[in-house]
Amino acid sequence: MDPLEALVAQIQGLSSTSGDINRLHSVLKQADESLRSESTRLSPILSQLDPSIHSLGFLYILEASMPAPVTRTQAETVVPIVTRFIGACSTEQIRLAPEKFLSVCRKLKDQVMLLEAPIRGVAPLFTALRKLQVSAEHLTPLHSDFLLLCLLAKCYKTGLSLLEDDVFEVDQPRDLFLYCYYGGMICIGQKQFQKALDLLHNVVTAPMSTISAIAVEAYKKYILVSLVRHGQFATSLPKYSSSAAQRNLKNFCQPYVDLANSYGTGKIGELEAYVQANAEKFESDNNLGLVKQVVSSMYKRNIQRLTQTYLTLSLQDIANTVQLNSPKEAEMHVLQMIQDGEIHATINQKDGMVRFLEDPEQYKTCEMIEHIDSSIQRIMALSRKLTAMDEQISCDQLYLSKAGRERQRYDFDDFDVPQKFNI
Amino acid sequence: MDFSAVRAALDSKSYDKIADLCDNLMLQVAAEGIAFQDDWPYAIHLLSHIYIHDINSARFLWKSIPSSIKESQPEVTAAWRIGQNLWLRDYAGVHEAIRGFDWSQDLQGLVASFSELYTKEMFQLLLSAYSTISIRDTALFLGMNEDDATNYVLRQGWTVDPASQMLIVKKHAVVTEQKLDHSKLQRLTEYVFHLEH
Repeated sequence: MDPLEALVAQIQGLSSTSGDINRLHSVLKQADESLRSESTRLSPILSQLDPSIHSLGFLYILEASMPAPVTRTQAETVVPIVTRFIGACSTEQIRLAPEKFLSVCRKLKDQVMLLEAPIRGVAPLFTALRKLQVSAEHLTPLHSDFLLLCLLAKCYKTGLSLLEDDVFEVDQPRDLFLYCYYGGMICIGQKQFQKALDLLHNVVTAPMSTISAIAVEAYKKYILVSLVRHGQFATSLPKYSSSAAQRNLKNFCQPYVDLANSYGTGKIGELEAYVQANAEKFESDNNLGLVKQVVSSMYKRNIQRLTQTYLTLSLQDIANTVQLNSPKEAEMHVLQMIQDGEIHATINQKDGMVRFLEDPEQYKTCEMIEHIDSSIQRIMALSRKLTAMDEQISCDQLYLSKAGRERQRYDFDDFDVPQKFNI
Repeated sequence: MDFSAVRAALDSKSYDKIADLCDNLMLQVAAEGIAFQDDWPYAIHLLSHIYIHDINSARFLWKSIPSSIKESQPEVTAAWRIGQNLWLRDYAGVHEAIRGFDWSQDLQGLVASFSELYTKEMFQLLLSAYSTISIRDTALFLGMNEDDATNYVLRQGWTVDPASQMLIVKKHAVVTEQKLDHSKLQRLTEYVFHLEH
């Protein structure tokens, strides 16, 4: 009997109980090498298997049958097979061989990109990552691939829905770096600058021994988003960020640091001149659009600053101070800011004056209480998580032996857990 | 492609549901490998984003539309013109874009409903941002002629200043729900107690 036929028979016979599937898994692991050598013969076999029942076997054969560099024609036949498999496969079975499943999904991603139809991979990868993850808090390596496809297919809203999950478990640092970087880009596209800032912040402050290209690009965008959102940028990173990042990141992003410095002067003319002179650099980084948003945010920032000094001001004066061409233009800027809730003011067209008002929020509506309450609940949940993690680490064998060893140098008599690590 | 859910939402005037329906349907048919672009109801899809003020999504959708479709389907371009004016904050331009196209039967209800919504929002914006405003500008913002606009705001209690021919805005006291139920108050009290002890 042909060994392949025998394998198919085994897959068909051993796909029902979990004991059978475990036996099948070891058979498949042994057959993996020989499957690869016969990759061209494998595609017809797939039709003898049911992806929903024989998921594990299907996965092994599918993975071995997918050639690495493919032509467009090959991709056209393979993509629908993989898509159907992802939709139908059994979650329990594919979790037995996550690396095989990942490999299949990654190849799907590469192939839809080859076909220049990234949108074809968006829904399948979403299904795949939900099947792979053990909880919504778990970051799979597929997260970043999914977000990348969302960006390429311009499905920003779909990408944003994934970013609503709070991530607490990460397998590989690279997964987190890419997830936060692409996630940041999705949020920038949807103008959710605070969330973008949080995500990019995670990249630049994450532990790293060397600087990666992801961190550099994230830092560039971090500077720009920080200017758009807060109108300022602090060049020093927080103390808990890695020393590699603190020492080197700035050097890779000099034009951006200079841009932030120019922004700090509050002079729109200088900023525009600087952007003009360096437009090519920003363009080649694909950041020119965001840089332009930085420039226009300066008008807003300057108007906002006026509200801190004046109670009433004429539209002409506003136009002069923030360097707009006419009182009408100033009026439109003020109006937009009122519409977006960025300032509180009323415009008096008759006298050509603007009156700046206090924030009318009195923090006593039901809605506000609800908001405060839910924030407190979230922080409490987070704090519980931190405590649990802290306890887990202080019981960890590896950690204790290391911490204990270091401690010994100072105090040979004390074999207890160091005091400061007790909770 | 099965557009029955979209059709049902259009018929029942649940316009705010259409964007999600279209988004999901598009991902679904794309995953099945169907070349959907030529038959896709882009005008409805664009307007559904605009209806719920998701201009970013409308913009990204517009960018993903093949140029052959932009050229051959004037209604798609007309729908985007509304979004573009919203994006640029050309308040009067939005009304012009709505009026400037002879919308097909399918879209008339959706466009009319958006137009009504947008006029109401513009009135709210004027109410919150102005203490006095010219009749001409009010007409532009509300997308009406000057007489209609004046009558519209006079009904809301605004007055005309005879000397300057400007409209004086009458602010309404905003009524918000402030009554708390006891459980919420109890919970906040417990938090504070917990922190202090």
